[in-house]
Amino acid sequence: MNGMVGRVVIVGGGTAGWLSACSLAAARPDLSVTLIEAPDIPTIGVGEGTWPTMRATLASIGIGEAEFLAACDASFKQGSRFDGWVDGAPNDRYFHPFTSPPGMPAHALLAAWRDDASELPFAAAMTPQVHVCERDLAPRQRAMPDYQGAANYAYHLDAGKFAALLARHAVQRLGVNHLADHVVDVRADGQGGIAAVVTRENGEIAADLFLDCTGHAALLIGRHLDVEWIDRGDVLINDRALAAQVPVLRGSPIASQTVATAHAAGWIWDIGLPARRGIGCVYASRFMDDEAAETVLRSYIATALPDAPDVPIRKLSFPTGHRARFWQGNCVAVGLSAGFIEPLESSAIVLIELSLRALTENFPASRVAMPIHAGRFNALFRYRWDRVVEFLKLHYVLSRRDEPYWRAQRDPAHVPQGLADMLALWRDQPPSTWDFPQAEEIFSAESHQYILYGMGHPAPDGQAATERARAALAANGQRARTLAAALPTNRAYLDALLAEGGAGPAHMEGH
Amino acid sequence: MTSHAPLDKNVHRDLRVRTDVGAALGDAVMATLTVPSEFRSVQGHFPILFRREPGQGDFMALALFGFENGENLMLDGDRWDARYRPWSLAIQPFLVGRPAGGEGPGQVHIDLDHPRIAQGGEGVRLFDEDGMATPFLDAIAERLGALDEGYRASGEFFAALRDHDLLEPFTLEVPLTDGSKHSLVGFHIIDEAKLAALGADTLGKLHAAGHLMPIFMALASLSQISALVERKNRRTRGG
Repeated sequence: MNGMVGRVVIVGGGTAGWLSACSLAAARPDLSVTLIEAPDIPTIGVGEGTWPTMRATLASIGIGEAEFLAACDASFKQGSRFDGWVDGAPNDRYFHPFTSPPGMPAHALLAAWRDDASELPFAAAMTPQVHVCERDLAPRQRAMPDYQGAANYAYHLDAGKFAALLARHAVQRLGVNHLADHVVDVRADGQGGIAAVVTRENGEIAADLFLDCTGHAALLIGRHLDVEWIDRGDVLINDRALAAQVPVLRGSPIASQTVATAHAAGWIWDIGLPARRGIGCVYASRFMDDEAAETVLRSYIATALPDAPDVPIRKLSFPTGHRARFWQGNCVAVGLSAGFIEPLESSAIVLIELSLRALTENFPASRVAMPIHAGRFNALFRYRWDRVVEFLKLHYVLSRRDEPYWRAQRDPAHVPQGLADMLALWRDQPPSTWDFPQAEEIFSAESHQYILYGMGHPAPDGQAATERARAALAANGQRARTLAAALPTNRAYLDALLAEGGAGPAHMEGH
Repeated sequence: MTSHAPLDKNVHRDLRVRTDVGAALGDAVMATLTVPSEFRSVQGHFPILFRREPGQGDFMALALFGFENGENLMLDGDRWDARYRPWSLAIQPFLVGRPAGGEGPGQVHIDLDHPRIAQGGEGVRLFDEDGMATPFLDAIAERLGALDEGYRASGEFFAALRDHDLLEPFTLEVPLTDGSKHSLVGFHIIDEAKLAALGADTLGKLHAAGHLMPIFMALASLSQISALVERKNRRTRGG
């Protein structure tokens, strides 16, 4: 009963399930890892943007970068660009790049920006990465060692192909057992956990630790263990999305960032892959009906890609929220079973990675230790979900758009107190590690600075620029020119990579 | 075949140059040209040897990477396994061109048949979208200028070595751990005994002309030979 933990069963495939399998099997080759995946159930693509953490994740599970890029039809992501969020004027856009400002106190940088570089937007003054993104350049050269770049970067990817790559890797190289079967029942262990899952074809499968990667169904953590769902839809009011995949012309530029364009009652994502763009419309059904949302989406596609064929549109309804606890008994929820939030800052996959890091680096040796691990895990991830909710809300409360939806987003009654407090402090001082004191914050103080000053929030006055800060901003300008010369375009990089591998993605042919 | 052309911001606006490392990019060389003004940077990494080109009276200085033609022990696949790259390698595929007659200011020329000329949008740009030289090209031009100036000044250096008979032939028998031997012939080094015998007056003149430091740097660089032999041995052992 209080034996050592040696057997892990993961229920559910997809990005969450297969990333869990790879991470556990790579970190702990001594474990027996089994993944049970219902055959012929299509996986939901959990967004298509990752965080820079994905590079270390892939390296740690032993997948080479070129293999990953080619297998997942992936491209580089160096941040996000937000169009139309401040007031909706034609030139209203700002960047949230992945590379942080120079490492020195923010007030000195803000003063140097004001004195020396006020003609540039905040992000462009703080990092050369914006210059790189504006030119559709890749963050690295192919000759560089895997997962290293001239600027911090992540990926855009085809989530279905990503799960397939991880599955092959897990089974063929990491010794994960793959069971294509339906879980039809769960056996309780009499101490608040799970003894075994019952499958249709293979009977009972017992384990010491279970991972619930069953997505919205939340088969173990929700349906069986009945852990409460905390709804956050009062703060983040979007509850629908329309998703489309639009093929692109051969040789067309591939954007270096996710573009999020605000509309009257939500926003549109635009993610460039080598062969297609993933474009979708997020909206609040209280303020916009499905038909109007489809019009918004189709009109965006028609403007962005005038040659695009008519594409089917998939409709999704989603609850915003998360479990009250993510680790209950001997069951850990990873992925959508733990929670869901609109993909505004691509937090879905990174939350999977962070969950797996916390789990593998604090792996319970025995059932006795589990309640302690569970308590810590739950506190950490409750903190992280709160931070995600507040960070996303920040994008809305700083807007000056006037539509009813945007006024509702700014309604003080629905702004979390923690965020309201910080906004009050940020009138006098920039976001800093005093606001985000954890060693591994999900959104750093620097990310908050990019949103805050990108959206025109006034910088606190009365600070003087230091020589160091002025030199750092001047060096950014020079570095931007160096990078622009040295980096290939995303298209040139990925076409060369795919040509080397002998296989190109299927493109829409030009007319 | 080479095809040299003066660099032109209109003609070469979109040209890119590969800056990675590899045998296919022309890096598989046993030695590369160096000049006295560079000796100080080179001596901590590579032996500096002197050689008279066949059919030519003048000596030239070389930074040594290997013991036989085509052998570069600093080259490890696509990695340059040393902390320094001599100017004459680092500036490829560029060179200094001069108007017919050989006089006048040097211009940046480019060898358009060099394997470092990039295809397919990878590599480093020479001009940005406004037609301005990129920082990469600026740095190349600076190095080219230093190399050209150093090369043009080296005639005096070698004349001084000749005047004082400071070069001696050098044959290196490289004993390898597998029992075989490798002979390196045809090179010269500074004659240390003759250098030590020079009087204060001569030394003062050599110093005033700026030759004394490179002479000692060349001498000091010979301590890199054992490191190079050790690389050779590692490679021989490794198959």
